[in-house]
Amino acid sequence: MISAIYSFAMTTGANRVVRGARIEHVCGDPGLGPEKDYAYGMRIVKKALEAVTVPVTGPTLFDPHEDAASPEEAGRAS
Amino acid sequence: MRLEVGSFPVRSIAFGDATRWAGGHLTVDRAAALAEIRRDPRIVSADLQIAAPGDSVRIWPVRDVIEPRVKVEGAGQCYPGICGRDIATVGQGRTHRLSGMGVVEVSSVNWHDSGGDFVETYLDMSGPFAQMYPYHRLQLLCLVVEPDPALSDESRNDAVHKAALAVSDHAARATSALHPPEREVFELTACDPSLPRVVYIWGVHSPQAMSGSLTAFCTATYGLTQLTPPWILHPNEIIDGALAGPYRTAFAMSWTVVNNPLFLDLYRRHGRDWNFLGVILLRTEWTTQHEKQMIANQTAKTARMLGAQGAVVTWDAGGNEFIEVVRTIQAAERLGIKTVFLTSEDDATDGAPTMLEPLPEADAIVSTSFFKNVTLQVANPSAVERVIGLGRKAVLRGSTIGLHAGADGTLPTAGPLPPPWRYDDHYGFGTLSCIE
Repeated sequence: MISAIYSFAMTTGANRVVRGARIEHVCGDPGLGPEKDYAYGMRIVKKALEAVTVPVTGPTLFDPHEDAASPEEAGRAS
Repeated sequence: MRLEVGSFPVRSIAFGDATRWAGGHLTVDRAAALAEIRRDPRIVSADLQIAAPGDSVRIWPVRDVIEPRVKVEGAGQCYPGICGRDIATVGQGRTHRLSGMGVVEVSSVNWHDSGGDFVETYLDMSGPFAQMYPYHRLQLLCLVVEPDPALSDESRNDAVHKAALAVSDHAARATSALHPPEREVFELTACDPSLPRVVYIWGVHSPQAMSGSLTAFCTATYGLTQLTPPWILHPNEIIDGALAGPYRTAFAMSWTVVNNPLFLDLYRRHGRDWNFLGVILLRTEWTTQHEKQMIANQTAKTARMLGAQGAVVTWDAGGNEFIEVVRTIQAAERLGIKTVFLTSEDDATDGAPTMLEPLPEADAIVSTSFFKNVTLQVANPSAVERVIGLGRKAVLRGSTIGLHAGADGTLPTAGPLPPPWRYDDHYGFGTLSCIE
């Protein structure tokens, strides 16, 4: 599950939780401009695809912002 | 800060040739009240109708219910800031109120179209459904009002609420020169230092993230609804309507905010059972985990700096906003502030908790029952003789999320009708609670 409010996703029992951007735009950020928005969205989606390949034993957080392409993008993650 | 409130009970309302209050009867000069509204060029149509307890009446769509209040001594204007009204700090002097009545804002104006946040509340004046809400006991003066449909969402919301406040002002002004039959003084007097120090942390929804609106609708603080750091309000400001506005749920409209029984009880028992420090207003619907945790930390810190030993916490929303509310409770408890949480509960589908994020620190919770009428299995309210407002209503039968999900038809308002999807008694007006 990709979720901006990831603690909530984990409480409700999602096994693999990917940290999203904001409630209004979970898989990107239009404030970054079209190119960076696309790159940011791809990073989140790729992290989600990676997550489904990883065995987990309970709710586990996957954070696409840990390998953000730029400080600007990492900043958006918070 | 000392506030004297003079109450003028209203036991009946009728139209007449001058607006006046006498012996519990309110006469309203309909033409004069409507003329004030029609001065606003944004208003296309306006009409006033009366509904009394026990009447076979259904009112739809209900955006707000307002208790008429007017400042007769001291600075400012009751219901300040909203719709361009005076923003002078209120809470001092003398305020007159028409108790036992409400002005109902009836209009097809939706909150906003961007996020599908629909007006869904309707009210009945008789029958079991009516009795679930405090309004069925009130004499209601209903303003059915429509603005120019070409205006923006923001402007239409502003126009119809301004019109409803004009009716409220018009009625309340009838008491300005009169001697109130009931008086009550509200003041945070110095008290026994051994009494426990208690703060009220009052969560109110912000429409900002979903609609972009900073002012047009939802419970406003001096007219502002935006996401802001916690505000500290003197309880007298609440009584003068500094926190008010049209709202999505029947239990957090202007009338219920100024008559919040939990708030009034906290205040009236100040100096006897505890030392009431005031209200911390927690604006909710922040949209990242980071923001939610920050606002929780800052609200708890503010309570600590006020010297709170205890806090009562309420909220008026649902869904993700639970996170900042429950984490405020957690943060307060970790600072040594004991908390009590008054909340409704979600349904427990497939064994899920009835609260989104159950945290161990939130261990003193008072339930006002389920927040959805579907979960409460509320029967469809039966047919009525008279409708105030629109003749048809969009419905989504059996919905657990309301008209957000669209509609599966429209029905005559006068006929049997599914109840609005939300019940959600935020402040303990009702008598429902949880099943242990």
